[in-house]
Amino acid sequence: MKFSYQWLSELVPGLDIEPAALERLITTKTAECEGIERVASDWIIEIDNKSLTHRPDLWGHIGMAREVAAITGRSLRDPVELSALPPGEGRVRVEIEDLALCPRYSALMFENVRVEPSPDQIQARLDSIGLNSINNVVDATNYVLAELPQPMHAFDADKLRGDVITVRAARQGEQLVALNGETYRLDQADLVIADVEGPVALAGVIGGAETAISERTSRIILESANFQPTRVRLTSARHKLRTDASIRFEKSLDPENTIRGLARITKLFQTFAPQARPSGGVTDRGAELRVPAPIVLPLSFVAQKLGANLDRAELVRILTSLGFGISEDSPGFLTVTIPSWRATKDISLKDDLVEEIGRIFGYDNIAASAPIVACVPPPVDPARLYFRRIRSQLAAQGFTEVHNYSFTEAREVERFSFDIATHIAVANPIASNLSHLRRSLLPGIFRNIETNVRNCREFRIFEIGSEIHAGQGNALPNEIPHLAAALYNVQGDEQDFFELKRVLECVFPAARLTAVAARAYEHPARTAEVKWRDTVLGRIFELHPSLLEAVGIEGRAVVLDVDLRTASHLAERETVQYAPLRKYPTSGFDLSVIANLNTPVAEIHDRLVAVAGADLASIEFIRQYAGPPLVFGQKSVSYHLEVGAADHTLTADEATEIRNRIIAGMRQANFELRV
Amino acid sequence: MTEAALNAQLEELRRATLAGFASAVSLEELESTRVEALGRKGTLAQISKNLAKLLPEERARLGKLLNAVKQDLEQEYASKQRRFEQAALAERLSREWIDVSLPAPGLRPGSLHPVTQVQQEIEDLFTSLGFAVLEGPEVETEEHNFDALNIPPTHPARDMQDTFWLANGHLLRTHTSPVQVRGMRKFGPPLRLIAPGRTFRNEEVDASHEHTFYQLEGMMVDRDVSVANLIYFMRTLLASVFKREVMLRLRPGYFPFVEPGFELDIRCLICDGSGCAVCKQSGWVELLPCGLVHPNVLRMSDIDPDEWGGFAFGLGLTRLAMMRYGIDDIRLLQSGDLRFLTQF
Repeated sequence: MKFSYQWLSELVPGLDIEPAALERLITTKTAECEGIERVASDWIIEIDNKSLTHRPDLWGHIGMAREVAAITGRSLRDPVELSALPPGEGRVRVEIEDLALCPRYSALMFENVRVEPSPDQIQARLDSIGLNSINNVVDATNYVLAELPQPMHAFDADKLRGDVITVRAARQGEQLVALNGETYRLDQADLVIADVEGPVALAGVIGGAETAISERTSRIILESANFQPTRVRLTSARHKLRTDASIRFEKSLDPENTIRGLARITKLFQTFAPQARPSGGVTDRGAELRVPAPIVLPLSFVAQKLGANLDRAELVRILTSLGFGISEDSPGFLTVTIPSWRATKDISLKDDLVEEIGRIFGYDNIAASAPIVACVPPPVDPARLYFRRIRSQLAAQGFTEVHNYSFTEAREVERFSFDIATHIAVANPIASNLSHLRRSLLPGIFRNIETNVRNCREFRIFEIGSEIHAGQGNALPNEIPHLAAALYNVQGDEQDFFELKRVLECVFPAARLTAVAARAYEHPARTAEVKWRDTVLGRIFELHPSLLEAVGIEGRAVVLDVDLRTASHLAERETVQYAPLRKYPTSGFDLSVIANLNTPVAEIHDRLVAVAGADLASIEFIRQYAGPPLVFGQKSVSYHLEVGAADHTLTADEATEIRNRIIAGMRQANFELRV
Repeated sequence: MTEAALNAQLEELRRATLAGFASAVSLEELESTRVEALGRKGTLAQISKNLAKLLPEERARLGKLLNAVKQDLEQEYASKQRRFEQAALAERLSREWIDVSLPAPGLRPGSLHPVTQVQQEIEDLFTSLGFAVLEGPEVETEEHNFDALNIPPTHPARDMQDTFWLANGHLLRTHTSPVQVRGMRKFGPPLRLIAPGRTFRNEEVDASHEHTFYQLEGMMVDRDVSVANLIYFMRTLLASVFKREVMLRLRPGYFPFVEPGFELDIRCLICDGSGCAVCKQSGWVELLPCGLVHPNVLRMSDIDPDEWGGFAFGLGLTRLAMMRYGIDDIRLLQSGDLRFLTQF
């Protein structure tokens, strides 16, 4: 919204503050200025529309002038003279079908109108605030729109058919050729102004071309109405048509302004269209105006909310300068009446008044102060701390954190043989790659690999993010935090798998792997399930080579995918219990177990532990070997064992006996030993 | 042998052995010279045997000389031996020279995402001030995201937020504010919380616009919470984030869930307020929206606004990370490009 400094000066007589300084004051006390620009002898101050969303009054110069007057301690000159309205019965017949949609409709007829260009200075003024000059009549309505702000519309009275204007819902299939030349197909959700034959305007949005004024017009009907904001907004959105009128009606305009607008334009016509004469008085239809309930404002409330003490006189001065009334001034509180232009939606609570007082008083005048509150440690979310620890551990192991989008698309998930239909769909995506929500972090990690192979021969990445799974019925989705980590190496081999396994064991010390059947995107011979105790945490696998080959990537990638919700629940239950140190030294020896090549080493390890029983103090894997003198298909797996007793040092004989017992036990389980 | 002859022998032994020590070029030579003179069967031992045959006073005199010679030789031997050992050590150490400028092998640590780093820093600050850190889901109900925040269906504020809608009427949260609602309903008053997380706006992506970005919501609800308290916390926050005192100002800003509502600006850190391209010559940079919690918002989460009040603020974590590191293209943050990510 653009404001003319000259126009504001006319409404705040004696305004002597520099435009640039005024712009800064408006920004800190009222609404955000986006810039100030010199236009001829005037300055145009542009205010961010978003900062005016809640202030219908600021869509006209008088609203901003009132702010300026309050800020600078001057008085406001109201340009409206209600006495300018012609007396007598209205000559225009108006019927309103639904007062909720059109709370007020005022109209006034003028005759002997000569439609011609406006005076130059009027054209220039409208132009400087972004309103095109059309002709003297339209310019006068726009002047009122930019000043009060009251959108108005001028009909050519001789083109209206019948003798009644009806405000009603459009009928299905009705059409309107609008002033902009476009044809709009209407339905019952649209509110229209109609004559006996059909719609002549889309209420609050745009007038019709058929009844528009032209150079041949001599009698006009001026519409000055108030429409329900939501209905205007929806109609404007549905027809993709935002006009200077609809933007204002959306904000909940002051219904008092319909009559004030007619009074103002009557006065303006003395300059804009001096020959024009009112024909009859004003027609004014609508619901009874709502008188807003006054607000009881305890002075202590203001002090408590602002954290600053303003004296009573200051409060009264600020409120009255903004147009509020003080209906009762009792010890300890004020009873504040709300002016009509602030009552439509902006001000209804005492908290709203605190804002009015605070901003004019100046927030810079409030000194910072620490609250007096109980010192209590905040509740802690253990999962969050756990994730943080995982992040720093992975970073220490050379992994760099990535953030991927929560979105995915068919092309990406189908690579992993996921069914896109199981993903939650976005109803209004702006791009095809935002069509669905991710239910796995893997497609994102795959994209990261694709991105980085161009620049790095070897890298490690991870992400902690949520898988989003559709919920039951109308329940919110199940968002499961996951860790996905990948290790890529252009010259990768099976050692990469064990490197990632090592990292896994650093981060999740209790994790154990079991070989499982691979999924479509996993290497069929290099895939394992990760378990903690007996709970499945996730999977670790080499990415199926064909996935990389399909996009022309050389090398190998090993990937870890862990359900962090499960992991953090398990981690929370982990406790450390001290075990007393051994009092007596242990004895050590090595054992080499012969097994088939495909016997998992874990099986041998577990068997040794079971056979050794309580004598075992520790067991350590040394190496595995296959080759001569072993027969083909066999391997030898070597361990170092330490054995001991709790109450004495083992003798050499006792140690040998334990060793022999273990060897015998292994033989019983069909494991030969190299002795 | 006479005393005189033995005397001469001792003097000769001293001279010859010292000469032998002096000319020894290795530890071995030194040792054999020592053994020859001082060994169990060495010259000194031979002389000492002859001492027995002398008269007692002669023996006393010669014995004294013998001890003196022995001491001199042992001393000289020890000092020469030390010199050889030192030379040998020095030689060995010099052979152990390494080129310290050679690159060290092995892995370097990776790094956390810049947004994570900024987020953790602010979490730590607020935790130390007694605030809980809460998380909420990315997918929210309309009720949490709008209605309970005093944004009814017909409210134009919904136009301000371009929302990603899902098929069943749920949405991707447009701000972290719904976590206020979750926090109030979970803990009740009094409470202090922050809620960092991912938020979404349905808009086209370019260097300064993203459909996915991070916010950090903050809220305090207590008996008596004022604008002055809000200013206090914002000062503390900003001093901690920017590692220096930052001048701030509050100006009116409209957000349906706060009343009064503010935009918080900071004095431009680039030009210190004199005006530059970053602050568009205004001297101020808009940083975060904040305000006192609207009574309707409290009421909708079963908190009586006549007894309790609060403040809330919403910090753009993505924006803050960009400011801190001078990142000029928001798209890099979610690019997964290691050339970018490994810089932090």
